[in-house]
Amino acid sequence: MKGKKEKTEKSARRSFVGLAGATAARAAVAGGLVAGFLGLRRNRAAPAGARNGLGIVRPPGALEEAEFLSLCIRCTRCADSCVTACLRLFGPEAGDLQGTPYLIPGERACNLCLECGATCPTGAIKLLEKKEEAKMGLAVVDERLCVSHNGTGVCGACHTVCPLRNRAITQDFRNAPVVHDDKCSGCGLCEEICIVRDRRGIRVTTDRGWTTAGGNRPKTAAGGESSS
Amino acid sequence: MTVRVHKLQLTRRFVQLLVLAYILAVPAVARYVNYLSARELDKNIEKWDGEMQGALLDGLDGIFRSLPDGEVVRDGEVIRIDTPVRNRAQVLDYAQEVRGGMWSAEIAGLSITDPLAGAESIAASGRAEKVLWISLILPLIVTILLGRVFCSWICPVGLLLELTDRLRGILRFLEVAPREIRFSRWIKYTLLAVGILLTALLAMPVLGYVYPPAIVGRELHDFVFGLFDAAERGDFGFNIDGLTWMNLIILGIVAFEITISRRWWCRYVCPGGALYSLLGAARLVRIRRRPEKCTQCGTCVTVCPVGLTPMTDRMGKECDNCGRCFSYCPDKALTFGLGAKSAKMSTKGSVEGKGGQPS
Repeated sequence: MKGKKEKTEKSARRSFVGLAGATAARAAVAGGLVAGFLGLRRNRAAPAGARNGLGIVRPPGALEEAEFLSLCIRCTRCADSCVTACLRLFGPEAGDLQGTPYLIPGERACNLCLECGATCPTGAIKLLEKKEEAKMGLAVVDERLCVSHNGTGVCGACHTVCPLRNRAITQDFRNAPVVHDDKCSGCGLCEEICIVRDRRGIRVTTDRGWTTAGGNRPKTAAGGESSS
Repeated sequence: MTVRVHKLQLTRRFVQLLVLAYILAVPAVARYVNYLSARELDKNIEKWDGEMQGALLDGLDGIFRSLPDGEVVRDGEVIRIDTPVRNRAQVLDYAQEVRGGMWSAEIAGLSITDPLAGAESIAASGRAEKVLWISLILPLIVTILLGRVFCSWICPVGLLLELTDRLRGILRFLEVAPREIRFSRWIKYTLLAVGILLTALLAMPVLGYVYPPAIVGRELHDFVFGLFDAAERGDFGFNIDGLTWMNLIILGIVAFEITISRRWWCRYVCPGGALYSLLGAARLVRIRRRPEKCTQCGTCVTVCPVGLTPMTDRMGKECDNCGRCFSYCPDKALTFGLGAKSAKMSTKGSVEGKGGQPS
């Protein structure tokens, strides 16, 4: 009799433990996700001047940012397929951007091989038919830093390296680069090759917002952005 | 009870280890390919002395260069490249055919995506691209035919938790009895539903951050990349910067399973397992019991990793076709059979299993 009572109590406790555990787990997961999400979204509000070289540069063919983030499953396939190893993946410090691809054109630029679009399983990165269709960002010449523009020298490196030479970048009479917004694909080869170091004379800008985490720009470069 | 390790179980363990090796190899090969391609793009490959940067790249290079010679066909042209670049161009062509990890992978042009990842992508974006459907075909067919085989044959966390199960045996041997609490199996279906709902509301995949195979795949990818980064800088040792708090989820699961509940995650919580269970509910390949041979010894109940009772045909959709009951049955009463419906409940020798979970 006593044993039976103990048994029922035990099973009741057991089911209570199960129920409490399940409820707690559900509440914790839901609460944590919502809280994390709200906090991270706040982090990502773009400050004034974020367009100037602080934006996230996504792979060629990536959809518009909100759509991209909803389609991307963070599977690492694009980074594995990247021939130039320019694609990096955000680390955990980037919050809800973790695992999504980005690139730092100043360190290693995209050569528009479009392999990432070919391998993307969800269509978050569209497979482009022509390299010209890529719109990763827009190269902007910093006329104070560019040696051809400020008169300290004659360079023309960005014009030479541009895959859309004489269409996206043309030269004026002093060999100074002029970027044509409608043609530029934002691949960043010009930024990578630019002879002005630390902070490039030509930089890729995007309107994708920015993140404090993940270091989209090297710290030395990011530090000076607000002054321009 | 005599313990016979059946060939099926050895095969299963081999497949699991192969998957683990694959996860580690993909980022390593990607780094190697990137390193070579960067030199090829620079048009320096003929001038380049073949020095690799860092011990890890050097090691990989040694492996690849010991492969037999061959020619490379690129753009219809047969190229034969001399040392020190011999074989490397070949590696470039073939190694790049392997991409991705546990969430989604591309192997020689065959695209495979975890159904949970597909469900999340569809829920978050509200649409499914053709490429996604194509990459979901293979896992869907396999799951519908064979059931939850991902869990028992492929999942690297499943492997880890199976080893955890062994630790429980050691604890029992040391006479520290681990507790064995059963939870409701509905937790995982609830978690799946809540996760998909949250994914749709937040328009971003959320289950990928709690689903252990995805975590392990991503973390190992980052970890291997970190090792290569460190080796290129000339550092040695493990770069634990690449590892995150997400591993604590895995460690927590392991600790919980050792002390409190056997195979807790896979049985009761895993949202991916829930989806595979639902997809495999009408699977073709099932464990069948021959009642005339069964002696109701209960071995199958103790070995079943998902806590089912093959002894009384209580299998349902939870069974992951790992074949442990089949392998360990001393009477050879359990076999794999075909048929979408589970075997008829036999009256002969049918005993209500105490821990049986109807599903």
